[in-house]
Amino acid sequence: MDGFDKIFINNNEDRLEAELFLSNTENLPFVVLICHPHPQFFWV
Amino acid sequence: MYNNVVSGVFNMCVENKISCLRFNFRGVGSSTGSHTSGKSELSDVEACIDFLINEKNNEKIIICGYSYGAAIGCSVVNFSEKIIGYCAISFPWDFMGLKYKKLSQTKKPKLFIQGNRDTIALYENFENHYNFYFEPKKYKIINGADHFYSGFEENVAHEVSEFYNSITK
Repeated sequence: MDGFDKIFINNNEDRLEAELFLSNTENLPFVVLICHPHPQFFWV
Repeated sequence: MYNNVVSGVFNMCVENKISCLRFNFRGVGSSTGSHTSGKSELSDVEACIDFLINEKNNEKIIICGYSYGAAIGCSVVNFSEKIIGYCAISFPWDFMGLKYKKLSQTKKPKLFIQGNRDTIALYENFENHYNFYFEPKKYKIINGADHFYSGFEENVAHEVSEFYNSITK
């Protein structure tokens, strides 16, 4: 069964808000890590 | 992480049952900390990769970054052998400086997506920057798209999907 979670990832003293989707359909080992633009730079 | 391009890629992954993680850099949304002009944001990406490897047992990671996220995310490509390649959407080389161009150099597979109306990640300089990178590499020009890809989200997500399929099968 696939899983979707809203989580926090620890980076030393900071906590990063994240959303994780894990597919179990074929137990694929691959995962895509998606990095967003920064609002302070590009206002998007 | 709720940007239109990021959401387009994330939703494509979910629809195709591709495992994926999106996150907010420090100081964005509900993430703690404050912006550090890239210095600590590199470690944010590394923390996400460590999480995927050590806590979720993922063996092969593909980085996909858009704009600032391309510069930071793709610059971590050599952090782990379990990172097998990256997709950079509108890499802002001219805006971010040489540091991230050098850090993102790798012999792993790479896809660069670029709008031909982009005035932030300058289209006219794209070929020069692209030529810097080692093979294997590919590029896709999205005709009519500027830096924000409004109305082109599905085109971008499709290209990411094609790249994913090309390096995982």
